[in-house]
Amino acid sequence: MARLEAKTDVTGSVWKITTVVGQTLAPGDTVMLIESMKMEIPVIAEDGGTIKEFRFAEGESITEGEVVAILEG
Amino acid sequence: MKDQAPDTARNAEVAELALRRAEADKLGGAESVGRHHEQGRLTIRERIAGVVDAGSFQEVGKLTGQGRYTDGVLTGVTPAPYVMGLATIDKRPVAVGGEDFTVRGGISWSGERKKGGQGGFVEDLAHQYRIPLVNLIDGAGGSVTSIQRRGYSVFPGVHGFERAVELMGEVPVVCAVLGTAAGGPAGRAILSHWSVMVKDTSQVFAAGPPVVERSLGQKLTKEELGGPAIAVDIAGTIDNAAATEAQCFEMIRNYLSYMPQNVWELPPVLDCGDPVDRCDNALLKIVPESRRQPYDMRKLVRMVVDRDSMFEIQPTYGKAVITCLARMNGKVVGVIANDPKVYGGAMDARAARKQTHFVELCDCFHIPLIFLVDVPGFMVGKDAEAAATLREGMRSVYVGLQATVPMYTVVIRKCYGMAGMGATDKNGLDLKIAWPTAEWGSLPVEGGVAAAFRRDIQAAADPKAREQEIEAELRALASPFRTAEAFGVEEIIDPRETRPYLCRFIDAAQGRLKTTVGRKPRYGVRP
Repeated sequence: MARLEAKTDVTGSVWKITTVVGQTLAPGDTVMLIESMKMEIPVIAEDGGTIKEFRFAEGESITEGEVVAILEG
Repeated sequence: MKDQAPDTARNAEVAELALRRAEADKLGGAESVGRHHEQGRLTIRERIAGVVDAGSFQEVGKLTGQGRYTDGVLTGVTPAPYVMGLATIDKRPVAVGGEDFTVRGGISWSGERKKGGQGGFVEDLAHQYRIPLVNLIDGAGGSVTSIQRRGYSVFPGVHGFERAVELMGEVPVVCAVLGTAAGGPAGRAILSHWSVMVKDTSQVFAAGPPVVERSLGQKLTKEELGGPAIAVDIAGTIDNAAATEAQCFEMIRNYLSYMPQNVWELPPVLDCGDPVDRCDNALLKIVPESRRQPYDMRKLVRMVVDRDSMFEIQPTYGKAVITCLARMNGKVVGVIANDPKVYGGAMDARAARKQTHFVELCDCFHIPLIFLVDVPGFMVGKDAEAAATLREGMRSVYVGLQATVPMYTVVIRKCYGMAGMGATDKNGLDLKIAWPTAEWGSLPVEGGVAAAFRRDIQAAADPKAREQEIEAELRALASPFRTAEAFGVEEIIDPRETRPYLCRFIDAAQGRLKTTVGRKPRYGVRP
């Protein structure tokens, strides 16, 4: 089982966490939505995997490139 | 030959020629070639064979090098560390060359005339014959050991870069970084229309780790300093990254298939086998109902252009803008599309730099441009201001306004401000078509209401409600159909009609394009 990181491509704030810990995602699925430039930008689980941990809660600010969730796959 | 009497003198000369050629084929020798292969790298001869049409390489300067003699009799030759000549790619002639790393690390070689690198024979060949130049770079440039050999220190860039610069306005120049490139070869890689490097086995920098450690005390590996994660993804120094050398060669061939041989010709037209009137139904639903939600712009591009014709330039750099070469009814076009998944498509400094280069590339080689627009404006915020987004953005607008190649604007969703203006053809036909989902203006309504109607809002019993009310009023007036009534936009189309509509105009522009071939002059001072 490899440890995988889901990173945000954009600076903004966590708008909506659309998944739950323990949920298994397919490659390309959305982990959460970031609000940036008045848009809802998805954070994608590039390789899929099972969500182990979220690093941010809804409403918190995040910076481009930060890890928002840890997955195992 | 068989019928002629033996000629011992000629036999000796032919034998010497054969020996010299065999020595050249050995490159730096079996041991050196073995080490090179162990590092996962191909030799320069293997590279040339990999990129050009099979059997098409006609080498020039095969005998160059340092002969070894015993009592005046040749015993061997250390070849010059550069292999080059004439070849074909897709049956069209190209000048191709590259450093031979197996001979003294491919460092500069001083003969009567340079073979390659800036100002070498291979560049003269591309210039004189007006054919594309393919540089396969694997060298670290000059070495301080040359001071000892010459007895003096060479003035930098004595001659040669002027030819490299000249070529940028004449013929397609492709540079592949296939090892560690520093100094001159690294600089040469940048003076290209398109550049590519190979993951894990290639790096590019102004100076390598030893110089960096001595100058700044930073201890970095070659990969940390100039691998694709820096050079391609962050800096955009090199345009694309390939997974392997074989993939790199395929990408070079593919890139050149979109290019004319020179600026005095138009790019080749290919039979696309994809109906011009193909109207993809998925285009109708690709833009989400909510204007806050992004969508897959690459998927949209693929549905519009000829099937399998999309070749993306700089896919991992300046990602707010997608730039790709493609074909429409077989004719080469450049597509610039905003990516709403990256900051809503807002143009940041990197995206602007990428767009500037791509517009210049297409203008230089007479390739019409299609803008698929969804841009809320320039990127905002302190970081964006510090990165000179405004200057880079205006430079992009400036270059777009100087370009004379036909441009077609299709507004998919947002088209705001100066960034939106940079996606139009103010010098030419200025054809702007829009989808019904389009919206435009100097700035988005929600960004401007609070400032423009401040007194009105402040005077209201419920300021927030009043602001929303004004926003709703303005949004109703901002329907694209109202602008179309005033002919402020030339057409609103069903999204499915995008391909046939554009193909009609691109087909019709071919005659005009033939009348405007040649070098493109560059006047003025870029902001």
